[in-house]
Amino acid sequence: MPSISDDITRRGFGRGTLAALLAAPAIARAQPREEIRLGFNGDLAASPSAQSGRAAVVGIRAAIEDLNREGGVLGRAFSLIVRDDLSQPPKSIQNMSDLIDNERVVAVLGPTNSGNALAWRHIPNQKRVPVMGCIGSATDITRPIRAGADNYMFRVGSVDRTQVIALMAYAKKNPRSGRIGFLTETTGYGQAGLRDLQEVAQAQGLTAAANERFNVNDTDMTSQLAKLRTAGVETALVWAQGTPIGQLMRSMDKIGYFPTVLTSWAADNLSFINAAGPTLAERPIFLRTVSEDRTPRQQAFFDRIRPQLDADSAYSFAVHGYDGTMLLARAMQQAGNTEGPAVRAALEDLQGRLDGYAKTYERPFTRDQHEALTAADQRWTCWRGGRLAAFDDAVVAGLRPEDFRG
Amino acid sequence: MLATYLQVLVSGLAIGGVYALIALSFSITFTTTKTLNFAQGEFIGVGAFLGVTVLYLVSGEGSFAALAPAAAGGARYPLAAAVVGAVLGALGILLFLAAIRPFAGKPGMSWVMSTIGFGIILQSLGLAVWGPAPVNMPSPFGDDVMRLAGAGVRPQEILVLAVAVVLMAALDLLMRRTRLGKAMRAVAHNPQVAALMGINVAAVMLGAFALSSALAGVGGLLVAPIASASLFMGMGIALKAFSGAIMGGLDNPRGCIFGGFALGLLEAGVALWEAQWREIVIFLLIILVLAIRPNGLFGARALDKV
Repeated sequence: MPSISDDITRRGFGRGTLAALLAAPAIARAQPREEIRLGFNGDLAASPSAQSGRAAVVGIRAAIEDLNREGGVLGRAFSLIVRDDLSQPPKSIQNMSDLIDNERVVAVLGPTNSGNALAWRHIPNQKRVPVMGCIGSATDITRPIRAGADNYMFRVGSVDRTQVIALMAYAKKNPRSGRIGFLTETTGYGQAGLRDLQEVAQAQGLTAAANERFNVNDTDMTSQLAKLRTAGVETALVWAQGTPIGQLMRSMDKIGYFPTVLTSWAADNLSFINAAGPTLAERPIFLRTVSEDRTPRQQAFFDRIRPQLDADSAYSFAVHGYDGTMLLARAMQQAGNTEGPAVRAALEDLQGRLDGYAKTYERPFTRDQHEALTAADQRWTCWRGGRLAAFDDAVVAGLRPEDFRG
Repeated sequence: MLATYLQVLVSGLAIGGVYALIALSFSITFTTTKTLNFAQGEFIGVGAFLGVTVLYLVSGEGSFAALAPAAAGGARYPLAAAVVGAVLGALGILLFLAAIRPFAGKPGMSWVMSTIGFGIILQSLGLAVWGPAPVNMPSPFGDDVMRLAGAGVRPQEILVLAVAVVLMAALDLLMRRTRLGKAMRAVAHNPQVAALMGINVAAVMLGAFALSSALAGVGGLLVAPIASASLFMGMGIALKAFSGAIMGGLDNPRGCIFGGFALGLLEAGVALWEAQWREIVIFLLIILVLAIRPNGLFGARALDKV
């Protein structure tokens, strides 16, 4: 008995194929239009900053949820493809090519670690795919590859340079500052921060009496601190990730040396307070983009996503992820398509107002300015009783816009 | 100034104790089987996580990622050490049977690759079970700084040093004063002759790998409260410990211990000068030592007959 497949003749197969080909466009029209694919590339697990990466993804997903509820943009819904780079530059570079070439994403958010952005920022610039940074804060991330070149790197987030300028202004204004010293981690993040510290100190007319480095995995920095103490340093500016800043505070405790500590915002990370312990954690002063005194609107968003966050302190990264995604969507709407060059041009000349959770954006970017959050958007922060709190003292109150130089 | 140097000494000895312990563990397998376990770094990380798991299970205090300080109190920390030692010892036996014995006595260096591979498998399994995020482990004696003539030290650092010294002294006695130690040294000297003398060579080799791996696991448990437990923490420690062992002479256990301590003190000392030059100075020094004394400072001069 012949089986069914034997009944299919070559001619019949050909007819079927032809019919299918003819019908294909009609089928495509009938189906919902293809999704707008966004990518996230960043560390979600490995480095001390992974918690921030996970929070950013929570924010991006919340934005996509809100956008899709409104019907998406250009009649198309959004979807997110997430790639973990384990904080390793080679893996991050590979992810970037994979997202752009294989997954065909129209924009990428991330990464978690600044060094990885610096390792691959030539890729989106060559392939002309906009990147919206929301975690990594190295100053150079959003710098164009060449002067005058089209730049596809944007950021809604904290910027090292902006933080350094504000911290240095504090050090200069504080009558009890005394001599200043630098302590930095030997990673890309720490060393880029050191360059900012040196340049801004020069611009504000300050000189560091000591300049020491430590490894990201070091557990004992007493030797470096002893040198700062010998140099008479009373204000230490620290650029490192959460865990090593915590180890640094423990080392200060060991030798009983407590200068005023002004740090990178990595001190807001749970990894910092875990390493330092709740008492020592209260010493550093740092800057964030979202105040701990939340507006009702910020509080509503906080309550909505808090169950998905590892810690209260990760909230600001979710805000950056949310606002960055919304700005990308607005730019696609304005451009009328999702082509990289058109979206970039739209981002650089965004019309109208956008009520974000970090602030209200009005023309956030220009061709030369790719940072949505600036010095005016910095919030002074510290740890109090195991929680983040707004920091305020006479020096902060006395800071004026003209103090922020560099 | 004196306090600063004392601080360097204390900090250097604390980290040097760990290096010395792991360096000794390299020496134990090298002297008995002429092979090394290149998965020692992964054994350290697994030991640390296993310790956290035991403390979490027996105490039920806090969450796995942030154990309460009380979780390491009482007999829990020694219990964790015993479990880690036993499990890692068993893993060492498995490593010997799976990755060393099939290649032992054969030409080539297949065991190098097979031990590295064993470590990668172990780390991947660990990542699947515990995830890659670092985890805090409380110290059994609290976390308050103790003052010694102006230098500060934490109880865990003293514990690391004390346990390392006690373990090393005990092993030294074992190797030099007991029949088992004599058997181990005989196997190291000449396995064929040792077998003819009625020594169970296979058992001695198994025991050496079990002991070496148990030391790595306990080392991980000791360091975890200082550096927080992570599956990636062991690589750096194992590399430094191996360098210390090479510098002191791999075939001399006492030399290895010396090398480990010397490396820890050098790290702290060089940081007092220029921290960013630390690794460069240390490894240049090791190369220099090996150029002058190819078998390490205290290694026996080996003559390879060609």
